[in-house]
Amino acid sequence: MEYRFLSKKGVASFVTGLLKEFRVYGPVKLVPAGSKQGKDGFPMYGEVASPDELNLLHTPTHLSPKQYLFPPKETLLKFKKGAPTSPFIPLQRGTPFLSPSGGGQGEEIAPVVEAYDQALFGVHPCDIHAIRLLDRVFAYGTPDANYLKRRERTVIIGIDCLPDKHCFCKSVNTMKAESGFDIFLHDIGSGFLAEIGTQKGKELLFKYTKTRRATLKEASKIDIFQKKKAESFTSSINAEASTLPLLYSGSYNSPVWEKIGKICYGCGSCNNVCPTCYCFDVRDEMKANLTEGERYRVWDACLLEDFAKVAGGHNFRKTRAERLRHRFNRKFQYQVDRFGGLFCVGCGRCIRTCLVNINIVEVTNELIEESNRKP
Amino acid sequence: MSSLKSQTVSHNISSPYLSRLARIERVTRLTEKERLFNIAIEDSKTLGHAPGQFIMLSIPGFGEAPISVSSPPDKGNMFELCVRAVGNLTNALHNLTKEDKIWIRGPYGKGFPVENLKHKDLLFIAGGIGLVPMRSLIKTVLNERSSYGSVHLLYGIKGPDEILFKDELLQWGRTGNINIQITVDKPHPEWKGHTGVVTTFIPPLKIDETKTAAIVVGPPVMYKYVIMSLGDKRIAGHDIYLSLERRMKCGLGKCGHCQINSIYVCQEGPVFRLSNIRYLREAI
Ligand SMILES: Cc1cc2nc3c(=O)[nH]c(=O)nc-3n(C[C@H](O)[C@H](O)[C@H](O)COP(=O)(O)OP(=O)(O)OC[C@H]3O[C@@H](n4cnc5c(N)ncnc54)[C@H](O)[C@@H]3O)c2cc1C
Ligand code: SF4
Ligand code: SF4
Ligand code: FES
Repeated sequence: MEYRFLSKKGVASFVTGLLKEFRVYGPVKLVPAGSKQGKDGFPMYGEVASPDELNLLHTPTHLSPKQYLFPPKETLLKFKKGAPTSPFIPLQRGTPFLSPSGGGQGEEIAPVVEAYDQALFGVHPCDIHAIRLLDRVFAYGTPDANYLKRRERTVIIGIDCLPDKHCFCKSVNTMKAESGFDIFLHDIGSGFLAEIGTQKGKELLFKYTKTRRATLKEASKIDIFQKKKAESFTSSINAEASTLPLLYSGSYNSPVWEKIGKICYGCGSCNNVCPTCYCFDVRDEMKANLTEGERYRVWDACLLEDFAKVAGGHNFRKTRAERLRHRFNRKFQYQVDRFGGLFCVGCGRCIRTCLVNINIVEVTNELIEESNRKP
Repeated sequence: MSSLKSQTVSHNISSPYLSRLARIERVTRLTEKERLFNIAIEDSKTLGHAPGQFIMLSIPGFGEAPISVSSPPDKGNMFELCVRAVGNLTNALHNLTKEDKIWIRGPYGKGFPVENLKHKDLLFIAGGIGLVPMRSLIKTVLNERSSYGSVHLLYGIKGPDEILFKDELLQWGRTGNINIQITVDKPHPEWKGHTGVVTTFIPPLKIDETKTAAIVVGPPVMYKYVIMSLGDKRIAGHDIYLSLERRMKCGLGKCGHCQINSIYVCQEGPVFRLSNIRYLREAI
């Protein structure tokens, strides 16, 4: 592992340098509770124009940096309608103004794959793990050009952190990121140690700031910090991470689902804030001129009532209990089977955001207790 | 501010969401809610589908939806879709006529394993609009009728007005060497045929379970009962094929809508062997 020392000023000039080549996104200063921008006083990600806008030693952000790789709303296609070949026919249902003529001469559809050079600065280990999972999802099978192009043009500068009362990354083995970043920063008090993740990261670091080789004494401070971090968790799952898929598979009929289903609002906030939730809806929208429009995707949430409803009206997950069970199982069993690796990275966001305090750690511990009680 | 520094660039790399232009050649009204569309792909390339696969069909401004290909894979750049008008896109489609353009991408998913069915006795069981994807396979079989054993088609619909492909059914019955039995859910003054659920046809059938494959497509409620009846006939789970419907938004294994546990129906399905999903929770 290669570590370079840089002073606090050195970090600032690194950011200033990156700003010349990249759009830089990072956790920005804490916004007061109740403010429109920062929900509940959590730090949040934003675009920064100068290093002092960054809030580097932040507690977990409200939304994760997935928003810069998989935006909440993203155009997939743009289209232009040609002159209709059939006479205007008003629709009985649906939009009354628009002729549904699938376009006559000159109808055009063009793909939109938007990407630009961006740097995500100050990403926590859990979110680095989450991005690696998203990478897998969008790359397997038919590659998703929109995500992958953005990803390709993204550099990630991670930073170590300490848990708040809901963080439980230690329980799901994401407390440390071994890879998945270009540079990873460790605060050692007197300055930062930059862990080099990629050649590209190294080049950028050397290009934009002054560093020197870290001393052994400085490097040992990382271990001290890690130890302190490991001892700071107040929230943890009472079982080995590797046993969780089996636990969930055996807990399908647990009464827990009904219990939390009764209090859940089905609001889908837990999906939106989760760094590994990637489900989306695809919709069309026409401009006011009704000849141009776009197809776009938006974040969707499996906790919402219609998520699994089909045309005949049949809903494959009618109740909130079923939908919660689906989401929890996606984190600990289903996606693990499909893609490998737990899909909960222990960031605690879904816990912090839930209006009725449904807590994925408590639920999991309850399932563990239940399964221990089983003969 | 920083957007001045880094210009947004659009790459024309292959977006999997880009569709191909296709032209409606003919529209046939089948029932009040269902129409058959004969479609030609504009670039004259063939769709290259297998029976049971689906495409994503769209009309810009009206959305996109998964629709099964209803014709067998033998028609050059032509293929057929049978669509029930239920919402935004499907109602808009029903307002289109000959020469109008639509957009398609696909084919997607896993279809019926035609090779595994050769030389077998086939038992088709369709409920309602389930006949639409099944028709692709039935026609494939009839095109090579001598490669298969006996063929039965059991078809259940709500009422006589909803029978799809009436003329074809008559013709298949007459010339296709296929035993067709149709039933309607509720008695109807003009209906002289059988009334009741489609499963009532199964017990009296003479079936050699060692060489029969069953193909079942219908609404979610149908599967449980049909599977029980087929079990009584001792047809093995690996000889039973089902096509599952789920909500689908991408067809690419990304959007998560079609997920059943760790399976994405648009990828591993929509056609499944019963033996592979019998114990899959929430599948049937
Ligand atoms: C693999 C597959 C094959 C299909 N084949 C056919 C076919 O051959 N012919 C046919 O008529 N229909 C078929 N369907 C159903 C068809 O996709 C839906 O009827 C269609 O999505 C409705 O779109 P809409 O815009 O008209 O309706 P909307 O206005 O979107 O909604 C109407 C209703 O449809 C439901 N719905 C919305 N989107 C979807 C979706 N993507 N998938 C399923 N339900 C949805 C909504 O919950 C709502 O209840 C198939 C579905 C699947 C999954
Ligand atoms: S955030 Fe809480 S209330 Fe909202 S859907 Fe998730 S679990 Fe239910
Ligand atoms: S499930 Fe909750 S704790 Fe786990 S990664 Fe998602 S938001 Fe974070
Ligand atoms: S339709 Fe999107 S994942 Fe299957």
